[in-house]
Order: sequence, then structure tokens, then C-alpha cells
Amino acid sequence: MARMGKCYNGPMRTELSSLVVFSSVFLMAACGDESITRARVPKEETPAAAAHGPGDGHDHEDHTGHDHAAQAPGLRWTMPSGWKETPGTGMRLATFTPPGGLKTEGTVVSLPGDSGGELANANRWRGQIGLPPTDEAGMAASRTKLTTKAGPVSVYDFTSEGASKTRLIAAVVKTGETTWFFKLMGDAAATESARPGFMTIIKGLQP
Amino acid sequence: MRRNDPLSRIVDGLSSLKLTLVCLALLMVLVVACTLAQVNLGIHLAVDRYIRSFLVWYVPEGTSLRVPVFPGGGLAGGLLLLNLILAQFRRLELSWRKAGLWVVHIGLALLFVGEFATAVLQVESNMAIEEGQTKSVSEDYRRMEVVVTDATDKEFDEEFAIPDALLKSRAEIADPALPFKLVVRAYHENAELSMGGAPSGATMGVGAGMSVTPRHPVTADGEQNTAVALVEPVLKDGKSLGVYLLSNGLGAPQGFIHEGRSWKLALRLRQYRHPFSLTLKDFKHDRYPGTNIPKNFSSLVRLKDPAAGDDRDVLIYMNSPLRHGGLTFYQASFGKDDTLSVLQVVRNPAWTLPYVSCVLVALGLLWHFGLMLKKSLGARNS
Repeated sequence: MARMGKCYNGPMRTELSSLVVFSSVFLMAACGDESITRARVPKEETPAAAAHGPGDGHDHEDHTGHDHAAQAPGLRWTMPSGWKETPGTGMRLATFTPPGGLKTEGTVVSLPGDSGGELANANRWRGQIGLPPTDEAGMAASRTKLTTKAGPVSVYDFTSEGASKTRLIAAVVKTGETTWFFKLMGDAAATESARPGFMTIIKGLQP
Repeated sequence: MRRNDPLSRIVDGLSSLKLTLVCLALLMVLVVACTLAQVNLGIHLAVDRYIRSFLVWYVPEGTSLRVPVFPGGGLAGGLLLLNLILAQFRRLELSWRKAGLWVVHIGLALLFVGEFATAVLQVESNMAIEEGQTKSVSEDYRRMEVVVTDATDKEFDEEFAIPDALLKSRAEIADPALPFKLVVRAYHENAELSMGGAPSGATMGVGAGMSVTPRHPVTADGEQNTAVALVEPVLKDGKSLGVYLLSNGLGAPQGFIHEGRSWKLALRLRQYRHPFSLTLKDFKHDRYPGTNIPKNFSSLVRLKDPAAGDDRDVLIYMNSPLRHGGLTFYQASFGKDDTLSVLQVVRNPAWTLPYVSCVLVALGLLWHFGLMLKKSLGARNS
């Protein structure tokens, strides 16, 4: 520390106020970070591939966090020609992209148990495309059943109302204590075009 | 003549050498305590609690009681800065003879200002890139955001990102460009999700059949919180579109269609978009021959910044970061059998201050000791 010298009675008040100004600027800068931000993002950058585990730089593990195998444990499927599969994150195990840049997307989610039951799930999907809840009879009318090597599969098909229609096709299969949800959702026309490929995936499910 | 009024006595105390020594001792204790605390708290939480705080608090387990037990780095450092400035003006004469000490003091003060600025202004995130992948987004593993996306357009998504600080502090969040407001029913910094059990309160989306058990936020450096937000989009006429459970632990897309527009809701790690991109061309993990001991980690990236007219290869390796656009990219981690590189991305507008400070202190000491040497040699010769 410097040796102390002769007394100098400087402008102390000015120094104190400078500190206050400094602090205020820093605090304002800190607060400015906490607001809603808006961004226009190209579609291809959107996938949930964003979630990564902490990269602390110390261990040698895979730091992508949830790196699911393309074929998740418990169920296997095969991509039709031209379809692209990308690993998902969290509960989403994979994302299927149909060929031709169609405005629709397939997803795979697996959840423990029956996930609230068939009717609750059907109404959840209906809600996603703006349809009102239905009852058991309405649900049965939207359902077809298939048999695959992985077991029986229920397929639901809903289309929204209005000028710009959205279609949602969901296939549900149970393996042991796990329920698997395969969903194709997007623009109604695009989903119709992608439907055969999606159904090929569903029909080819294997344990 | 020295004045003896209360204000002068306070200023005398604040500019005293005793206070300097006390503050330095406090800072040394804090550095040791913070280093030890990192074992249980992880580096970020330990630094926040001990160094970047005005008081160190003791919180007895299972209570909401908070007892201040020690001055924090902010208080000790702030006092030391004030002490330094007051001592400089009160005790140092303004002369060429003391110019070296003036420069040293200014350098030290700048060091403290730099640390305060870093504590407030620095933003850290990470960019994980696989070989061949191009990215212009980095993520903060310790902070979250709820993102409301208008996914109607074929080419673009319009994203509205709401930082976790707003979710914690506000009951309703609105934006003029959104046709609905978000009512925040609950926000948990960390929670466990499970099927069945007590209903979470969600009525729509994948969370409708789930239960939420709040947990203490994780503290270890390698762990990550599973944040949960229960949000309810409410239209301007007051009609509710249901309550959604959002979490970074859920990958399933959730959303609804309103007036022909497709909206998605998600909770994710906080993202920062940059006006340039990095493509990982090659990641190298060199080992010493015949051993598994790491020798070097390096990432060869292609930097493309159309606005700045930049398009070049950059090699990032330990202690040789890439600085571009006000950001610094450090080699931080890797994975996926050495095909994935994790870069730490730091925005710190005050990063130059410590360097300027060191140069000032060095120059000041050189000047001062040079003068002393000259004086000593002069005295010997005479």
C-alpha cells in the first residue's frame, strides 16, 4: 500500500457522487437485461436441439445432456425414404421431418404410465389445434386401430376448423409401463401428403 | 488545521490505513471461505454468496430466517475502493514526486471498478457445436426463459422470450405484439415432474396429467435445474386458453391455434442470438503419446459475419480464445467421442479494465521506485 503523504483537502463530495453515478449506471444496465426480447428465427434453427447439459470443462462426458439414441430403448422404428430423423430433448425422443419441406413435423414422446388416459390425451390434442373437447363416442369416431410387432396401436386423426386448417395424427402404443406417442402435426394439406410415410413408421414399429 | 466535526471524523475513519488493512483481511478471509464453499455450492453460487454480495448470510436449514454473519465482497471491496479514493485525495499531495503513487492508486481503483462492472455486466453462456454444425446461438445453463413462438410463417418463427426473472417477479406478462397475455400461475426454479399424483394445475398440453414437486435449486457445476412454469394464455376479452405446464425437462411441443395463427409455448435454457455464425470444422483432443493424459484441446471454427465482412478460420484453444463482436469464445468442454466442442461465450464490456489496471500499477511503481532510486543514489553521491 502506498505511503501516506501530506494532507490534501480535495473535492470529496464530487468523488462520492461519482460513485453513486457509477453504481446507478451499473444497476440500470443490470435491469435492462430483464425484458421480453423478440427475434425472427429461420425455421431450420428452431429445433429443440438447443438443450445441452452444463459444460463445466472438467469431465469427459457427453455434454449434450439428453442425447437419445435415434431408436430409443424399448421401441424401434424405421424411417421411410427421404424422411429425416433428429434426436430430441427431454421427453421428446426424436423429431421426424418429411421430405419436400412440407409444413408438418413428426415427434416421438414416451411417458410413464397411461398418461392420463385415452380421452384426456385425445382432448389435449384437440385443444392443441383449437378443437373443443369431445366425449368417448367422438373419440372412438376419430380412432383407428392397427396391429404392429410392438403391439396394438391406436391412431387418432383430428383436423381443425377455419380457413387455415391444421391436422394432427397421433399414434399411441404401450410397451410395459411406458406409453409412446407418435404425432404428426402441421398444415392440413402438408400432413395429408406426409401421412403415408408417417403411417409406414407406425406400422413398422418393433419392440 | 484538522477539523474535528462528526463528518470529518467519519471521513478520517474511511480514509484510514487501518480500514485498508481490515478490508484486505476481510477479502482474504472471503477468498478462502469462498474457495472452500465451492465444494458444496459450486463455483457460481459460492462466488455469488461470498464475493458478489454485500453480506454473507447464514440460513438455518428448514427456516426462512436469514442472519448476516460476515461482510460480503461487495461491502469489503466497496469500502476499500472508497478508502482508496478518500486516502488519495486527503493524504497524497498532487506533485510529480507522488505521481507514481497517484497512478498506482488509480490503477487499484480501476481494478475494483472493473470487478464491480464485471459482476453486473458480464453475461456468460455456452455454445455446443458438433463437427460440421453451424451455430449462431449460445445458451445460459443456469438461466431459463419461456418462449412464446408464432410458428405460422413458413420460413420464419417469431419468438418472444420471457426471462425467468420476469416469471418470478410478475403475475402477468403482456406484450403489445401478442394477442394474449400470459398469467404466471407458478414458477419453480427446480422441480421434479412425474405422472399421476397431485394435479399440477395444468389443464392443457402434456402437463395436464403430471404432478410437480418443487426441489431446491441445484448448486453443483455439472448439474442443471428442471424449471417448471405454469402459465395461462388469456385473450384480450378475458377468455382463458387453458393452463400449460412448461419445463426444460419436457421436449414435447405444446401450443394452440388462435385466429389461424399457430402458437407454441416452451421453457428452455436462456438463449442469446448473435449476428454471426461459427461452424465447427474440427475438434482436436491431443494426448501425450502412450497415455490418456490430455495435452491440448482445440476447435477449428469458421467465423462468418456478413455485416462485418468477416469470413475466416479461427483456431480456439486453451488460453487462446476468439474475440469477436464484443464476445469472447473460450474452449470450455467437449463430448460425443471428441466430435462435439463446448465453447464458453462471455460478454464482458469491462474485460480490458484489469489489464489497464495492471499496466497502470506497474508504471506507477516503476515511476515511484525510479524516483526513490534516483534520490537514494543522489544522497549517496553527495
